[in-house]
Amino acid sequence: MAAIAGITYLSDTRVEVDVDVVERLNRELRRLNDEGVTEVVMRNPRSRHNLAVGQGAGLKIVFDGSCGYYCGGLNNGAVIEVARNVGWGTGEAMASGSISVGGSAALGTGAGMRGGLIHVKGDCGPRTGAAMKGGTLIVEGSVGYLAGFMTHAGDLIVLGNAGEALGDSLWEGRIYVAGEIRGLGNDANVVEPDDDDSARVHALLRAQGIDGEFPFKKIVAGQKLWYFDNRNPEAWLKI
Amino acid sequence: MTGKGQEPEIVQGRSHIWRAEIIRDIQAKAELGRYQIRGFSTFQKFPSLDELVFLPAAMTRLPLEGYRELCVSETTIGGGRPDLVSQPLELAIPVYLTSMSFGALGTNAKMALGMGFSRAGSATCTGEGGMLEEERDASTRLIYQMTPSRYGLDLEHLRKADAIEIVVGQGAKPGTGGMLLGMKVSEKVAGMRTLPVGVDQRSAVRHPDFLGADDLQVKIMELREATDYRTPIILKLPACRVREDVKIAAKTGCDAIVVDGTEGSTAAAPEFQLDHTGIPTLAAIPAARRALEEIGMYGKVTLIVSGGIRNGVDAAKALALGADCVAIGTAALVALGCNAPRFVEDYHALGTEPGACHHCHTGRCPVGITTQDPELEARLDPEEGAERVRNFLTAMVMEMTVIAKSCGKGNVHNLEPEDLRAVSLEASALTGVPLAGVDWAVGPETFGRGG
Ligand SMILES: Cc1cc2nc3c(=O)[nH]c(=O)nc-3n(C[C@H](O)[C@H](O)[C@H](O)COP(=O)(O)O)c2cc1C
Ligand code: SF4
Repeated sequence: MAAIAGITYLSDTRVEVDVDVVERLNRELRRLNDEGVTEVVMRNPRSRHNLAVGQGAGLKIVFDGSCGYYCGGLNNGAVIEVARNVGWGTGEAMASGSISVGGSAALGTGAGMRGGLIHVKGDCGPRTGAAMKGGTLIVEGSVGYLAGFMTHAGDLIVLGNAGEALGDSLWEGRIYVAGEIRGLGNDANVVEPDDDDSARVHALLRAQGIDGEFPFKKIVAGQKLWYFDNRNPEAWLKI
Repeated sequence: MTGKGQEPEIVQGRSHIWRAEIIRDIQAKAELGRYQIRGFSTFQKFPSLDELVFLPAAMTRLPLEGYRELCVSETTIGGGRPDLVSQPLELAIPVYLTSMSFGALGTNAKMALGMGFSRAGSATCTGEGGMLEEERDASTRLIYQMTPSRYGLDLEHLRKADAIEIVVGQGAKPGTGGMLLGMKVSEKVAGMRTLPVGVDQRSAVRHPDFLGADDLQVKIMELREATDYRTPIILKLPACRVREDVKIAAKTGCDAIVVDGTEGSTAAAPEFQLDHTGIPTLAAIPAARRALEEIGMYGKVTLIVSGGIRNGVDAAKALALGADCVAIGTAALVALGCNAPRFVEDYHALGTEPGACHHCHTGRCPVGITTQDPELEARLDPEEGAERVRNFLTAMVMEMTVIAKSCGKGNVHNLEPEDLRAVSLEASALTGVPLAGVDWAVGPETFGRGG
């Protein structure tokens, strides 16, 4: 195979990629995956946007720094690890696979994700898990405003605090917050998770190496905004 | 109107302020505790393309033989950036099917439209509800629409699409998201959108992972990276501050821009939005063209226009004003059988008549188009529907080419503002097209005189 500048084979299945050098990088990653490479170490990501977008199963992609917007966007099975921070829209529309972030994430983490796992060790910005349709999104730190906005399905689990307007206009997504909730969104209600629910969430955490007992509050839809009628005029007047 | 049809009618009194329809509207709001929702188009009368006429060739130029000579109608969407788009969308005609969701439309309607537009060498668009398998199979060219709610957004669907359309908004209800009332949120529709069955779905209007044009620029590159720089990326805008919006849209690096005028229809929208928001298509086209010209992008970014395009003449006028292509919704639905005088008793049950129906929001479409009810859907035979749609498109393009040839053009894309004159002060003022006879335009910018 002809050598490509910026791609160094550490073995038949392990490759190092210099993000500074390789062009049309996502296409190259897909090609490496097809070729049988199973792990790629990405050097010099320098917070560039659109890294590891649209990647498939069978490939582990490890970034040794920070990534910009849409890291792991439209992920379709790849296992992605980012040593430091990520920008907006990390793992947006992900179907399967996983993304773990060593630092913090910005706006819209896991927006519209349908499956797989995102695990952020630090904090997340606003709109975390907005329009999420499935999968698991674990944030060890805190989340910004409008987290879980119109979340359809899946689990958003926050070990820290949540900002304003949590769970606004929620559909059937499940939101769990261990810390303080600064404010609930429209039609969001706090309930106590039952024992089964709590056990399920703690099991999801343990699978990521997070031990301990967390006093979760669960946020569910009041379902007042699900039906467009005048059963609840107060809810409608404000929006 | 509540759409139920049971209330006794009230008469039109002498007040022009408190017209019968206004009184009915207040009565309905007092009963419902909410604003009124309906389908179809605005009921306002706006200055329209009817107020422009063509100036075919006479002594100053030579017409082509209208019934004999060839006239090119092929149209490319997203051909301006070969480095970013390896497969622009190639259409045989400058008309494609606008975005109409599965959910708003039933499966049979989607299939019929897909086959009809494919047979005419054109494309359809998924609309908001995700990619329906039956539509992908029926449409040889399918545009995938990505909306703020991201229903069913799937990498594989993006890769199967022939173009990707990102919605900023639509002309019928600018500044708001989609709406699909519970009657249409069937199991299949709910499954594709990950929604509880039967809810009144009102979609988000802001995208969850970008807010402004700078972010959208990165988003567009993400979609290109995910789909290997194959398909064009289209931005759909409602016609509002067109001169500014189109420039900003072009700056995001998209390949094509849809400007959807306020006449654009919907399957369900608040009535006050249909009637009082956005600007007419007639005014939007020259504004969009000027915007692109001012930033040197006219001809590079494909300009697509929709909203109230009813026939080949409207389409030809849109092209002459500056569009590269038009998209149609309602006209195609009417070709399919919308408002046809069949199952008349079911129109009556909705409180309407064939020709006056605007009840797509109810999910009780008498002719089986905008419904998820299997019994109603069975009234629409996809094969027959496809042929009607194909016939309509053929007629529409014949109208366009005959007009173009009468103006001396061998290519519909060579129609230009100079081929038009305005027959109303409003049309001249809104477009800058000179008034008929006097060749003088109302307003600061004359359009088209002298090329
Ligand atoms: C039944 C129906 C469903 C529609 N669904 C969508 C949609 O899903 N997304 C969207 O952007 N616009 C939607 N629209 C608006 C059309 O895409 C388009 O803007 C409008 O129909 C164009 O105007 P015309 O109907 O006068 O041709 C819908 C319109 C209709 C009539
Ligand atoms: S006939 Fe059907 S598609 Fe046409 S306006 Fe009525 S409900 Fe809508």
